[in-house]
Amino acid sequence: MMGSWPKRNWIYLVSLMLLLLGSVILAASVGAVSIPADVVARIFLKGVSGFSSRGWPETYEVILLKIRFPRVILAAMVGMALAVSGVAFQGIFKNPMADPYIIGVSSGAALGATIAILVLGGWVGVFGFSLVPLLAFSGAVATTLLVYNLARVGSRVPVTTLLLAGIAVGTFLSAITSFLMVLGGKDLHAIIFWLMGGFSAKNWDHVKAVAPFIFLGLPISLVYSRDLNLLLLGEERARQLGVEVESLKKILITVASLLAASAVAVSGIVGFVGLIIPHMVRLVTGPDHRILIPCSALFGASFVILTDLLARTIMSPTEIPLGIITALFGAPFFIYLLKRGGKATF
Amino acid sequence: MGCALRIGEIHCGYGDGREVIKGISLAVEEKEFLGIIGPNGCGKSTLARAACGVLGCSHGEICINGKNLKDLSTREIARTLAVVPQDFHTEFAFTVHEIVSMGRSPHLRRFQSETKADVDAIEGAMRATNSLHFAEKRITELSGGERQRVIIAQALAQEPEILILDEPTSHLDINYQLEIMELAKRLNGEGLTVLTVLHDLNLASAYCERLVLLNDGEVFADGSVDEVLTPENIGKTFGVDVLVHRNPVTGKRYITSIPRIYASSNSEGIRVHVICGSGTGAVIMHGLKEMGCYVSAGVLNVLDTDEEIAEKLGIEVVAEAPFSPISDETFGLNMGAIEGADLVVLTNIPVGAGNFRNLLAAKKALEMGKRVVLVEETPIGERDYTGGRATRLLEKMHQQGAIIATDSREVFEIMERMSTCLT
Repeated sequence: MMGSWPKRNWIYLVSLMLLLLGSVILAASVGAVSIPADVVARIFLKGVSGFSSRGWPETYEVILLKIRFPRVILAAMVGMALAVSGVAFQGIFKNPMADPYIIGVSSGAALGATIAILVLGGWVGVFGFSLVPLLAFSGAVATTLLVYNLARVGSRVPVTTLLLAGIAVGTFLSAITSFLMVLGGKDLHAIIFWLMGGFSAKNWDHVKAVAPFIFLGLPISLVYSRDLNLLLLGEERARQLGVEVESLKKILITVASLLAASAVAVSGIVGFVGLIIPHMVRLVTGPDHRILIPCSALFGASFVILTDLLARTIMSPTEIPLGIITALFGAPFFIYLLKRGGKATF
Repeated sequence: MGCALRIGEIHCGYGDGREVIKGISLAVEEKEFLGIIGPNGCGKSTLARAACGVLGCSHGEICINGKNLKDLSTREIARTLAVVPQDFHTEFAFTVHEIVSMGRSPHLRRFQSETKADVDAIEGAMRATNSLHFAEKRITELSGGERQRVIIAQALAQEPEILILDEPTSHLDINYQLEIMELAKRLNGEGLTVLTVLHDLNLASAYCERLVLLNDGEVFADGSVDEVLTPENIGKTFGVDVLVHRNPVTGKRYITSIPRIYASSNSEGIRVHVICGSGTGAVIMHGLKEMGCYVSAGVLNVLDTDEEIAEKLGIEVVAEAPFSPISDETFGLNMGAIEGADLVVLTNIPVGAGNFRNLLAAKKALEMGKRVVLVEETPIGERDYTGGRATRLLEKMHQQGAIIATDSREVFEIMERMSTCLT
């Protein structure tokens, strides 16, 4: 808003970038084979700049470039997507309890993935993908469109009807998913595992699929950060201050839904990230979206990298679904926020 | 002076097809201070929302500075016209400075950061609203009055030509109400056109130059405060009886309502004649009426406060011409009223040559065998302007068995006792 872009904002940004860098290196170095951090850093630099040096076993390079880097980078992107999507939905709904799944992205994606696993399970994927992410993405986008159109009153999209339509459609789709699962029998395990989210067996193709959404969605969200601030004062007030509220909402709903859908498509349903990351960041930076959005993106990325690290190391070699870890962290924090009650500052 | 805001025969309403505004035309001159008043549901807030373009009209058009609102973008509108809502709430803890700065957004391009002019506008707005000293506080921590000042500062940061206030004081204590209205008045003096919706008629009278009284979605009256705030207009639109007084210092009108009377049947049929004047009888007449008595009053001068109130209460009054001593004829009429009464009350009136005969009437009533209550809140010596004649007369009445009451509450107690004896 102000010319006063406080100096402390730079401090937040720089510290979170360092945190993200640290998380990437840590997550890449820890695993069944542990790789020293400096080697990780050098292989990373080599990958980025093509600068060639040697002095490490070739296996390290293979493990990092084929397995850990794609996984870590994918985790970072999913974290960014979910956190920024959460910020946007909380702004649109003027409600700090909104999350990226609020208008049916998760239930649509779940149904899509279930259909892919159960009905089309034998098919080989297109474009090198399995069908699961493709159908999950389609399901998420189709559900969002459906909810959006159900909620539309003329040319306006009131947030209450959006919320109600989201809940109604979500419940309906979840029922179908459950029904398919009952019929599913032998594939149940695969579905449940997908629903709980995670990054096992993800590769560079997944990264390439999500990247465009992040690289478009993040800047667009930033462009509208000033308008998002005004939106938090209420739609009518925002209009009185010159914001074209309805078109703003349409753009933001599109961007936020696509971010969430792309994340869900490659990672399954990872809960709580989109809810708690904006919260934690807001407690430090305040609600100004110009700093909240980039900080949430950086912190969300670090958070998902680190929780994914826990998910694959705590009970190694068994991998715990990521959704379980984020919920184990997320739920107590959510309760803590609720219990702070009247004192809460969002 | 040109026309800042012109509203031409607009109709508007909400989704359910109900029309709230049924054809309103209105022209607000530049630098005018216009108040919109009217009973709840008359459409005054809806009119404010339509005027700033938040609510669309089904018919008619609204122009600011001669340009149709429909041809302007919301940003363009926000550069000319700012709105102060009734109250505003956000769960998000922006600082006061951040909130006020948002008022600049219609002037800023997308990635443009603030210029010196913007910073000055923000600071000026906070200074005008006396909110600079809590600029770094969070909006969620402020009191209602402070929050309202901040939202006005936000509107001022827009540097508008027209300011629309929608019941800006309705959630505030009286001290803040006055502060906000004084601020609006000052800004108006500095050249801002102000249109304010008000539900408090006295605030409207005190601050507005011109008033528009709405009723059921239409303009009922439009003109100066004196033309609009008449008991007739208020009675017809609000459905209440009011007294219109003038503030003796400012000459502005102020309004007091007369509570509706829900007569109990306790003292039904008891006839009471009240001898009063200068407002000493108002409470007693109202109270007796409420107890179910049949009340008459006299002699009262026309234009006297008690006379106005008696009229409103539907009490039969023996009246004398304004500022005239009691003539033989009215004295006679008064005695006639007394003859028909079961009880006579002489209130705590100051007595002078003009109304001395009212005292005589009370004494005569006593001699006729009527029960007479003398209200003596202040000793007669302090309100005797007849050189002691009134004091002597009153002393005599004491000896003749008049009942003494020290205030109006005691009069009602005496009435209670009497009604149990009589029925």
